Amino acid sequence: MAIDEISNRKRFLAGDNVYLPHIAVIEKIIEETPDTRTFHFSFKDEKLRREFSFESGQFGEFSIFGVGEAPFCISSSPTRCDHLEFAVKRVGRVTSALHRLGAGAEIGFRGPYGNGFPLGYLEGKNLVFIAGGIGLAPLRSLIWNVLDKRDKYRKIDIIYGARSPADLCFTYDLDSWKQDKTVNMVTTVDKGDDSWTGREGFVPQVLEQLAPSAKEAVAVVCGPPVMIRFTFPVLAKLGFTPGQMITTLEKRMKCGIGKCGRCNIGDIYVCRDGPVFSYAQIRDFISSEY
Amino acid sequence: MTVKKIAKKELARLLDEWSRQFSVLVPSVETGVAQMTGWQGEDTSFVDWYRNTILPPKDAILPVMEEMFSFSKNEDGYRLEMSPPDSGRQLIFGIRPCDARALAMLDVVFKQDYEDTYYMRRRLNTVLVGIGCTNPYDSCFCTSLSSGPSDTAGLDLMLTDIGDEFVIEAVTEAGRELLDKSQGMRPATADDEARARESRDIANQRVTQNVDVKKMPDRLLAAFDNEEYWRKIAAKCISCGICTLLCPTCYCFDINDEVSDNRGARYRSLDSCAFCIYTKMPVENPREEKWQRVRNRVCHKYEFYPRLFDTIACTGCGRCIRLCPVNWDITRTLNSIPGQ
Repeated sequence: MAIDEISNRKRFLAGDNVYLPHIAVIEKIIEETPDTRTFHFSFKDEKLRREFSFESGQFGEFSIFGVGEAPFCISSSPTRCDHLEFAVKRVGRVTSALHRLGAGAEIGFRGPYGNGFPLGYLEGKNLVFIAGGIGLAPLRSLIWNVLDKRDKYRKIDIIYGARSPADLCFTYDLDSWKQDKTVNMVTTVDKGDDSWTGREGFVPQVLEQLAPSAKEAVAVVCGPPVMIRFTFPVLAKLGFTPGQMITTLEKRMKCGIGKCGRCNIGDIYVCRDGPVFSYAQIRDFISSEY
Repeated sequence: MTVKKIAKKELARLLDEWSRQFSVLVPSVETGVAQMTGWQGEDTSFVDWYRNTILPPKDAILPVMEEMFSFSKNEDGYRLEMSPPDSGRQLIFGIRPCDARALAMLDVVFKQDYEDTYYMRRRLNTVLVGIGCTNPYDSCFCTSLSSGPSDTAGLDLMLTDIGDEFVIEAVTEAGRELLDKSQGMRPATADDEARARESRDIANQRVTQNVDVKKMPDRLLAAFDNEEYWRKIAAKCISCGICTLLCPTCYCFDINDEVSDNRGARYRSLDSCAFCIYTKMPVENPREEKWQRVRNRVCHKYEFYPRLFDTIACTGCGRCIRLCPVNWDITRTLNSIPGQ
């Protein structure tokens, strides 16, 4: 991403200071799984609430005052902007503190940062969305974005997997996509339980069985690193070229604006140059530290 | 540009004069560690003992720790208050050319794309008055990096020691204005300038440590995946991070909140790529191994930064060599890259 391209993007700085967060209010909390919650939030400032915009795939630095900041993607779609959403799996200090918040709590938000998914490139293509676990969060923003402008895209496949039925996130979305006649929705779990009547198996295996055509298609992949690592070779086998595979990378992005240093992969800064990359780009990275 | 001179015995008076417009920082060992601290008046003995500070002068612009904003909560919710800027303008007197050049490298990072409010508000209020080195350390290698003990890059004014006097040269317009306004300056004669040149030549010859930086990004790139080499290079590193904290071109930072006595604030503090937790995420850590971290540090200076900004992000100040507790030496690393 060229720097001038980033510079031309809309910015929503508080007090001309990029590090000063906007105050946002948690409006609703959805218990997705035992360790994952979705937070609906809105900015306290009315003007910002009206004017804020972002792209699917972009992220923000969310903070709890007194605890700290952490990066999360915005998991709602820019096509549905009455409120914003982000989803958090409880894994560390900030995420645990977020899980202790109730509706009405105030949080800080800086962003949106990063590049977002290339909507223009996806237009007119067959789309294959492949996600695992909480990895559906950034993809769900893109999926709703695409479905809200359905006629711009062709065939849509969604393959989503989780470790167990209890670990499936966004089940309300999964249900509506299942009912959508224009979408081929496949849900799988690594291991089912007594009440599970659906598919069992790891995401890459299910992908191989379904074998979506690579012709005029783009695959968008997000999930745990191990899932991504096993998914790319399957896509390659199905005929997808590296340019037809898109993913979003996760790093400990502290500043979000390419300065604090820790999210680099060689000379690439994930927060600034990504987090969305094609496999063609990733393959050319100097380092394999992703 | 303007060239003048001032007698060394006039220096205290000059610093007093500048103190009326600036908060003046000079080299000092007051704290036991050589660093830039506030001018107290009278004592200019640093001119004789000072080779370079241990703590780099970047601290005056990118402090080890700084408060970014405070937050408080009342019935209407949170209120944030940006922490006020340091008062007024500052002048760093006696900064070495390597360290001034380093600030120019930090400027690029903090200015690009999203401007960094905290860095820029200090930087734009800082005047850099350098003194060319006459007595470089054995570990200095600035001359290998298209620089040297009399490099003026990044400075506003440059002083050269010619014995009982300093020859003063304006480098920037801001420097010229300051020079024109300052009392006690006399025009430098052709003879003074010749002595200054001689002094610079001698200093240049005293920098004997060398690194071969020819085709550096590509050579490092070729060795990037040579794990065996990097493991060997990193073997004795103890990941203490001293080299990064004392490096004038290192700028990595962390952001954290602190709450005490009903007052909360968000702070920025220097961080180090030498630390294992620097890149650690709850599940993954892309640079968990020490050799990966050492490789990142070397390659950031000599490969990644040059790819992005066309210059090597090392000024050859030698601190990371002089002050490393286990005698790790970057010049040995750079001179032993396989496949040369």
